[in-house]
Amino acid sequence: MNDNQSEASGSKRSGADATNDLRLSAARKRLAESRGQEDAIEGLREIVANFLGSEEIGLLMVDQTTAALQVFWSFGIDPEKYDLLLALGDAGRERVMGGECHVELAARDRSGAMAKVQAFVPIRLANQTIAILAILRLLPQKHAFDGSDMELFKLLSDEAAMPLFGTHSKPAADERSSDEPGMRA
Amino acid sequence: MAKKILVVDDSKTALMMEREILEKRTNYQCVTAADGQEAVEKAQQEHPDLVLMDVVMPRMNGFEACKMMRQHASTREIPIVLITTRGEESYMEAGFQSGCNDYITKPIDGAELVALLQSYLGE
Repeated sequence: MNDNQSEASGSKRSGADATNDLRLSAARKRLAESRGQEDAIEGLREIVANFLGSEEIGLLMVDQTTAALQVFWSFGIDPEKYDLLLALGDAGRERVMGGECHVELAARDRSGAMAKVQAFVPIRLANQTIAILAILRLLPQKHAFDGSDMELFKLLSDEAAMPLFGTHSKPAADERSSDEPGMRA
Repeated sequence: MAKKILVVDDSKTALMMEREILEKRTNYQCVTAADGQEAVEKAQQEHPDLVLMDVVMPRMNGFEACKMMRQHASTREIPIVLITTRGEESYMEAGFQSGCNDYITKPIDGAELVALLQSYLGE
């Protein structure tokens, strides 16, 4: 590769990197500025819809005593048709509980039809997976996850726990009542 | 004088990202609105050079806001770019019928967005 080619390629890369940096920065800021759990969940939905290209999302909570998983919140998923625990599977569960993302290129739903790409992202706090973000079926114009998506997964894994479940969330969190959607198991 | 873009989105996250792209990668001035109704009002007050607008929003969606802007003399000629998660052809067709000039889908590619805006406004 000559210098010009190298420069052109570098310039192209830096454009994509700059967009990715802006995306990560906006996601980080949105989570950090969340005012309570309900707003943090909405922020998570916005991040997944706008930056990752999916409008079928779920959040599983991990019982820290029994390690059982329970659906905590979902958006755009028909629970009759799509079982998040079944979609995650045992192997996926083991990976995510160990702190790794579990990304599948295709999976079968209950009817046997092929679903599109899905990802399960561990939400970590103090070296433990306390919840799992499930991202199912990408929008038609988005065909797969790429390297920049993996960086966003990492950010969500490392930084979403406190806004979503932290005890020192901003004031609105203290005012929430048990009948808010985000509080229902 | 810097060209002015009215960015409309009910998602704080999307607005944050779109605003960052415009502020860091262009010389355009950016004003914002959180739904279609506010967009119609701001378009009449601010006279932007272009409107970049989400489709699915509360109170008034992007298609309706687009139609409203096309009915007012002061906003009739402003280029409108709709931006949405929905990429189906029928949906895009509805966008063009509402009077938009262009349509882009999320997730946004920063370089693609800047190039599109520059095609209307220049650098």
